[in-house]
Amino acid sequence: MTAATTMPDEGAPGLRPTVRAGAGDRRIDAVGYVFVAFFTVPFFLFNILPVFFGIYVSFTRWSIVGTPHWIGLENFTTALHDRWVATAFWNALAYGLIIVPCVTALGLAFALFVNRGYPLSGLARTLFFAPNVVSATVIGLVWVWLLDTQFGLVNHYLGFLGLEAIPWLTSTRWSLVGVSIASVWWDLGLAFVLFLAALQDIPADLTEAALVDGAGRWQRLVFIILPQLRPVLSMIVTLQLISTLRIFSQVYVMTNGGPGGSSSSPIYYIYSVAIVRNLFGYASAIAMLLFVAILVLTLLQRLVLRERS
Amino acid sequence: MKTKSGSGHPDRGGATRREFLLGASAAAFAAGVPFVAAGPAVAAAPIELVHWSWLAASDGEVWAKMIAAFNDAHKDKGVQIRMELVPEEQYVTKVLAAAATGKAPDFGWGTAGKAAGMARDEVTVPLDDLAKQVGLDLADFSASSLEAARYPKYDNKLFMVPMDLMSLQPEINLDIAKEAGLDPSKPPQDAKTLLDWALAMTKREGGKVVRSGIMMTGAGVQTTVTWGIIAAQLGFQRASADLKTACVNPDAGKQAMQWVLDLFDKHKVSTRDVTDRYKAFGTGQGGIFWTGPWTLNGYLGQKLNFQTSLFPNVGGALHTYREMGGLELYAQSDKSRYEATLAAVKWLSDNSFLWTTVGRGASPRKSILERPDYKSAGAPWAVRGAFVDGMAFATEGEIPVVAGPDFTIYSGGNFLAKTLDGVWAGQTTIDQAMAQIQEQWQRGLDEG
Repeated sequence: MTAATTMPDEGAPGLRPTVRAGAGDRRIDAVGYVFVAFFTVPFFLFNILPVFFGIYVSFTRWSIVGTPHWIGLENFTTALHDRWVATAFWNALAYGLIIVPCVTALGLAFALFVNRGYPLSGLARTLFFAPNVVSATVIGLVWVWLLDTQFGLVNHYLGFLGLEAIPWLTSTRWSLVGVSIASVWWDLGLAFVLFLAALQDIPADLTEAALVDGAGRWQRLVFIILPQLRPVLSMIVTLQLISTLRIFSQVYVMTNGGPGGSSSSPIYYIYSVAIVRNLFGYASAIAMLLFVAILVLTLLQRLVLRERS
Repeated sequence: MKTKSGSGHPDRGGATRREFLLGASAAAFAAGVPFVAAGPAVAAAPIELVHWSWLAASDGEVWAKMIAAFNDAHKDKGVQIRMELVPEEQYVTKVLAAAATGKAPDFGWGTAGKAAGMARDEVTVPLDDLAKQVGLDLADFSASSLEAARYPKYDNKLFMVPMDLMSLQPEINLDIAKEAGLDPSKPPQDAKTLLDWALAMTKREGGKVVRSGIMMTGAGVQTTVTWGIIAAQLGFQRASADLKTACVNPDAGKQAMQWVLDLFDKHKVSTRDVTDRYKAFGTGQGGIFWTGPWTLNGYLGQKLNFQTSLFPNVGGALHTYREMGGLELYAQSDKSRYEATLAAVKWLSDNSFLWTTVGRGASPRKSILERPDYKSAGAPWAVRGAFVDGMAFATEGEIPVVAGPDFTIYSGGNFLAKTLDGVWAGQTTIDQAMAQIQEQWQRGLDEG
């Protein structure tokens, strides 16, 4: 391996060695590209290419078999007038309004609890995170049993409190809430772990100084801890919002989007249009609308939660 | 998504199985004839036919035995079947994807009338000429089964070999009937007696139904199919005979919606709070449950005390839901495989005695129905008989157009089910729902 290197004057800050690439370096470059190709080629084939193909398909009528037939914006105009699309998107918003605040608030509360180092906080850490490692399908199946109107454990305990059984999954009023409960339980773990990590990164001298200045627990939380958590809070809300807009497994397993589409979600509707009705062009168009919706919401949310310099 | 869940208990019909296997072995020589005849089916190397199936409940176990019997019978004849299970809800999409890449299975399970799109796109293979080549005796099939296997919009060609006929009939919990003082030998036959039975079998606590006289769910398949059956009985047609007009006699369709609503709200013989209707009926939470023969093995396995009767005539003309399962061939680049494939399907059809006694449904084959042991084989006639006899008025099948899935009455998530769910939930008026159904269905028929 040869490389002609001209050393800079010592003590000249900011100067870097000038490297002239020789044949050996080109070989190293080639080997590097081969290594990188192991990731980039599959990524291009299975991520990038399908995205562009999906965009193209959204302007066509296509059912896998045969050549896609170009129909321009027809799929998009149909989608904008399709009440099931509207229902699914409104539901996504409702899921977001229930799940995101619940996951964020509960994740923070649990993290604060565990961070104080109470007895059994190690066990609590495991318990809070455990649901997150189970698949959404399993979570859905478990909660179908728990939320069953007639023999579910949840209604059983509500009965002890003298409350009427709630048709969590069988009524249009409650089905979205039922699915949300399962989702919050599942998603909580990740938010909890991220908050806990962020809490442990807060410099101790900040809180100690506040303590010396006579700040109470609530004041320390509002004026010291929460501002320090702003970056992770922004990240959790963003991730949770995207995850909620993409909710599928729980809907599929627990309610099939019903009754009457009351718990449907955009991804579930895309699935039913593509897989059940084989309208891949139309499904791609709805997917594009979902992409735009996620992009807009994420940008808005980032504006709201933007870190103050 | 359609779920036909039995409990998955293996059938206990050992004697029947042995008889079948003996019969299968005896028939093996004759059955092997197509494979040793001169022609493209003869191959120097053994042919492995790929078969896709979505049968996953207790019926799937019986079907696996059928395939095993075929393979045993053709061990030395140069042809074997390799069966692969594909989830039902993904089945059509996977077949389409496989066909698009030239790697479709040789044959698979289909539901009559649901694959107009595949017929149009030439994914499924027309079978009229092939049937003659392999000697499939079409005259032995019931006329209605062959009619259901054709697509009028695609030259009325045969696209499926009928394998079993299914209908929805009421299963009656005999313990509940006895408790209510009802005579099971005189099951309900009309609207009045059905309601009398339902009222007698319903149990309420604090004004709430805790045991349904008629097993229903608040949404999904059960309510949709009930509406479809009652609407047909009242004179409603989803599509005219020439497939040009949607919703013939819409008032009858509206009347049927009201009939279903009244079960919940007026007569209070059903509750919307049932999540899993199969489980609920199996655990005594319902008196009468109209369902299909795919439930028999499961309920017999869990020792449920029940009988099956014929669907009552609620609306004036006797109709019920009909479904025909069958085997369809998928397009291959190597067309010489078709003859061997249909010969295998012919064998499975000729030997479908086990399938249509223990497995699922009634036989479309006259020669099987006429066998003296047809009634005594498989599940007891008290629970199986109505599913065979009831085929006489099982008329409400699929609408054989590309938009057919929108018309399906046995669905929990299609356009029809979602529209009707709004009615049951009080979100949509009956008139609004009928207008939406009429508009969408007409568009579907116009598309062809």
